[in-house]
Amino acid sequence: MSTEVPSRSTPDASDLSPSSAAETKKYKVIGTRPIRHDGADKVTGKARYTSDVLLPNMAYGALVRSPYAHARIVSIDTSEAEAMPGVLATMTSADLPDPWDKVENLGEGCINYAHLSGNVLARGKALYKGHAVAAVCATNAHLAEEAAAKIKVEYEPLPAVTWVLDAMKEDAPLLHDNLVTQALGEESARPSNIGAHIHFEQGDLEAGWAAADVIVEREFKTSSIHQGYIEPHVSIAMWNEDGRLKIWTGTQGSFVVRQQMAELLKIPVSQVLVIPCEIGGGFGGKIAVYEQPVAAVLSRKCGRPVKIAMRRDEVFEATGPTPGSYMRVKLGATKDGKLTAGEAWLAYDAGAFPGGVIGPGCMCVFSCYDIPNAVVDGYDVVANKPKVQAYRAPGSTHAAFACESVIDELALELKIDPLDFRLKNAVQEGSRRVDGPVYPRIGLIETLEAVRDSQHWNSPLEGPNRGRGIACGFWFNAGLQSSVTAAVNPDGTVSMSEGSTDIGGTRASIAMQLAETLGIAATDVQPQVVDTDSIGYTDVTGGSRVTFATGLAAYQAGLDIQKQMVRRAAELWECDVDQVTVEDGVYRYGDAALSFKELAVKLNNAGDPIVGRASVSPQVSTNAFGAHIVDVEVDPETGKVTILRYTAVQDAGKAIHPSYVEGQMQGGAAQGIGWALNEEYFYDDEGVMRNASFLDYRIPTAFDLPMIETIIVEVPNPDHPYGVRGVGEVPIVPPPAALAIAIHRATGCRMHELPMSPPHVWRAMQDR
Amino acid sequence: MVQIFIPAPLRRLTAGQAQVAVVATTLREAIEALEQQCPGIRGELCENDGLAPTLQVAVDNRMTRRMSTPLKADSEIHFLPAIGGG
Amino acid sequence: MIEFEYAAPTDLDEAIGLFAQAGDRATLLAGGTDIIVQLREGLRRADLVIDVKKIPELSQFEYAPETGLRLGASVPCWQIYENESIAAAYPALADAVRIIGGWQIQSRASVGGNLCNASPAADSIPALIALGAVAHLAGPGGRRAVPVAEFCTGPGKNVLQSGELLVALTLPPAHAGSGSAYQRFIPRNEMDIAVVGAGSWVQLDESRQRIAAARIALAAVGPTPRQAVQAAEFLCGKEPTEENLHEAGELAKQVATPISDMRGPAEYRTHLVGVLTRRTLAAAVERAGTFQP
Repeated sequence: MSTEVPSRSTPDASDLSPSSAAETKKYKVIGTRPIRHDGADKVTGKARYTSDVLLPNMAYGALVRSPYAHARIVSIDTSEAEAMPGVLATMTSADLPDPWDKVENLGEGCINYAHLSGNVLARGKALYKGHAVAAVCATNAHLAEEAAAKIKVEYEPLPAVTWVLDAMKEDAPLLHDNLVTQALGEESARPSNIGAHIHFEQGDLEAGWAAADVIVEREFKTSSIHQGYIEPHVSIAMWNEDGRLKIWTGTQGSFVVRQQMAELLKIPVSQVLVIPCEIGGGFGGKIAVYEQPVAAVLSRKCGRPVKIAMRRDEVFEATGPTPGSYMRVKLGATKDGKLTAGEAWLAYDAGAFPGGVIGPGCMCVFSCYDIPNAVVDGYDVVANKPKVQAYRAPGSTHAAFACESVIDELALELKIDPLDFRLKNAVQEGSRRVDGPVYPRIGLIETLEAVRDSQHWNSPLEGPNRGRGIACGFWFNAGLQSSVTAAVNPDGTVSMSEGSTDIGGTRASIAMQLAETLGIAATDVQPQVVDTDSIGYTDVTGGSRVTFATGLAAYQAGLDIQKQMVRRAAELWECDVDQVTVEDGVYRYGDAALSFKELAVKLNNAGDPIVGRASVSPQVSTNAFGAHIVDVEVDPETGKVTILRYTAVQDAGKAIHPSYVEGQMQGGAAQGIGWALNEEYFYDDEGVMRNASFLDYRIPTAFDLPMIETIIVEVPNPDHPYGVRGVGEVPIVPPPAALAIAIHRATGCRMHELPMSPPHVWRAMQDR
Repeated sequence: MVQIFIPAPLRRLTAGQAQVAVVATTLREAIEALEQQCPGIRGELCENDGLAPTLQVAVDNRMTRRMSTPLKADSEIHFLPAIGGG
Repeated sequence: MIEFEYAAPTDLDEAIGLFAQAGDRATLLAGGTDIIVQLREGLRRADLVIDVKKIPELSQFEYAPETGLRLGASVPCWQIYENESIAAAYPALADAVRIIGGWQIQSRASVGGNLCNASPAADSIPALIALGAVAHLAGPGGRRAVPVAEFCTGPGKNVLQSGELLVALTLPPAHAGSGSAYQRFIPRNEMDIAVVGAGSWVQLDESRQRIAAARIALAAVGPTPRQAVQAAEFLCGKEPTEENLHEAGELAKQVATPISDMRGPAEYRTHLVGVLTRRTLAAAVERAGTFQP
């Protein structure tokens, strides 16, 4: 068994050292908190979101959506709508090319184009309430809405199923006539709603149970949750007469939109240009396309640019929730607190099409603990809900709620402090995960030690109805492909272009890595997120990968610039290249010394302009771990939970811009708290979501959260020159479990179902 | 020897073995060698000339989909579900 | 949103004329915080929207300790809680308007509009009922007055006839030893809609030791706001002890016939009626102990 730590160099790194890469070295830019480059535009309202884009002669589209959770589409009559003055075009799924049953890995999970096309506009059957069935565009948005109401769709309603265990029953209504269960080589004989079965095994489970002194097994349920981004989906498509299709959209991945458009419309990638606008939140929900292909086809039909903007209810009813789940977790440990065995049985709904987030759920359920004998079974189950999309560490939060709750209960049974119990069993370098691989250098133990040493953990919590909980969480984090180019300007500044759309302050964190590499100030780098014609392929802003991977590309582009600068300096000084040294951005030969800026000014009028470029595809997980502490008070009469204090602790590897690391930790915690306490898709018996608005779908407001304190732990990632790990996703993982444990301490009640909303907590207190 | 960790559902093709040792210098060679020992398994792991799109491979902690990925003499290979992130 | 015509009359008779003429095709707009949302979401359709904010009779309010409060139908919420005398005399109303939406909403939304919208969960209606408010209506057939307790007839439905509009609300003078409170239960701490709301008003006797009179009204426990008459009568002549307030809460539960929905299960709502009735009574009694007009 190899437990060798990967070397510090990255797969594609050149031999040139950065000007300040050594661990002992003090960074000049990294770790500081400069004002973000896009800050002024954002706070003055000048930043351009898709809704701000107005094109000449623009038309507006609206979608017709199924009022039924499951129905056969008998007929669609667009004639009355088309006859309305001002209506320009209508469309149905018949206007999309026949989809191919092709599964493609887009870096961030796979997409089956037949399913994607069928999700964009229903084919034959509407599979969930809100499923788009037809579309229309008109000269203004009000008219389009009115025309949509005139499109007559005849439905034959079918029985619907929304709860994952109901959908798995033998007699459940089938969503897809031909869906068989994929289980690595073993296809089920007859169709069902189960799209896949995942199975992991390590060690000898029976021996593990036999070695255990205490065993705890519990079951858990969670509701569907939406990413809750503030900006609804908005896109503009302009399909020119020359065949070129331009898309303006708020997306997590402009190249991934380009790819999906090309596949769905069966046109070459080169015919699609995607112009990413600023994005008002994505969290995983703005990777798949929805309205973009519809706007494109309407544009081709009417010869004008077409804008489609979703309403909030459309966002809830038709875009990516994270699944509802049923989970059973069983753990065993010895009297002295060593875990011996673990078993998990997880069923996650995938929404209307197979391919949800059960895979990572299974891989994450035991990812924080060294469990020698373990078995995990997971099921991907279709149900009459919008197609599941990624949501911040997709699948991991569910699993952590279950696993951490059982860990806590086991620790209490063993009379071992739950933090000590976690420390005793925490994974570290060399630990084998249940899905097989062995961890490289990771920072869970350091993170738990930071919890143990924190002021919060050591502060007293007194008073009735109060309790404190902790929980930890894991997310892989991705590498994937990124490209950066950077041009040195005559004044010694650098213009940097990159393809990662900026959701969480990544312009700043990428620019800072380039600045550090070159030895210049962060303000001397001007970063720009550019369109798909202007930069090399770049994967989605997802998987907490941008500061890591696009940052790595910026670092390498910096080395590329530095190499060119050295060569040019040698020409200037009439010496050999290897006689020029670079330190902290100062270029030296003998007694001569020039800063980057001074050299850039001198070089500007002599010889080739200096342009650096790099493209990378680091093939590693950066392995993020977090642990959260929460104090709550529960109203004994109403079951309402008030958060008194909250601290998020996380291994960031290296925090490039600590404010944005803290912001990610706080944002993730806030979303996890919402998931824990109040958020849920509330379905009625007909499969209709009854709370498709921010009034009744309750994300936390500023009044519901204390200041979320943060502690950044820095265990450098060996696969990045500055030690960066991704930070964006893992902070959503611990909150539901931490809150459930805190509620237990406050009330004596174990909560096994999310959300832990006031009626549920009250009910549990009644039953205690 | 390169250790290939066999996903539990495919162990029916390896006579129950959880690990199969092969001599190989690339992922492609490793899968070929595995196929020699356990006929039929390649079809479960690969599609056309590449890895099945629903899978990813971990070679000594590096995630890859490239069949040309080089192996060390004692590399570990794991087949995992492809995952997405938010 | 579907297109509509807009009119903003400056005279009450003109507004009534327009409204009567257009009939069901028209809707009135005060703050618009409900109407605009309903029009946008297709929950209500109107060809003509009549803005009543420019009519002086509707947009003004007067308060005197001797005569009480006359509140024009379109007066926005913030005017009430920002006015110290009104907030002190009618604290239940101030409690309610402080939690209707956020600041932006409160600068537009009116108590009159909140009443006419007739939501079972409306925050201001239990407060108005507890305070004994009367609604003053005007229409093609003349003027009439209706107690707020009788104004709502169902979810979104009220006693207004075709062409008739709400002109003003009047609240009787608040006497020394009176106090009131409104509270709602919401899962969050702001920007939410009542799972249950309760408004309580008490008049203490001269000794300030006993309750001379009380009114209790509830929201979100039936198709219209409910008065808990038996609970209020039980308190008359009694000391406001913990036990008595608790008993009033238990009695108040008897008028609750809530539904189960996304805001809470029926049994939970009924339970909350007891909690909120007791809590608002306690707050009202405490305020009554110190109130001087």
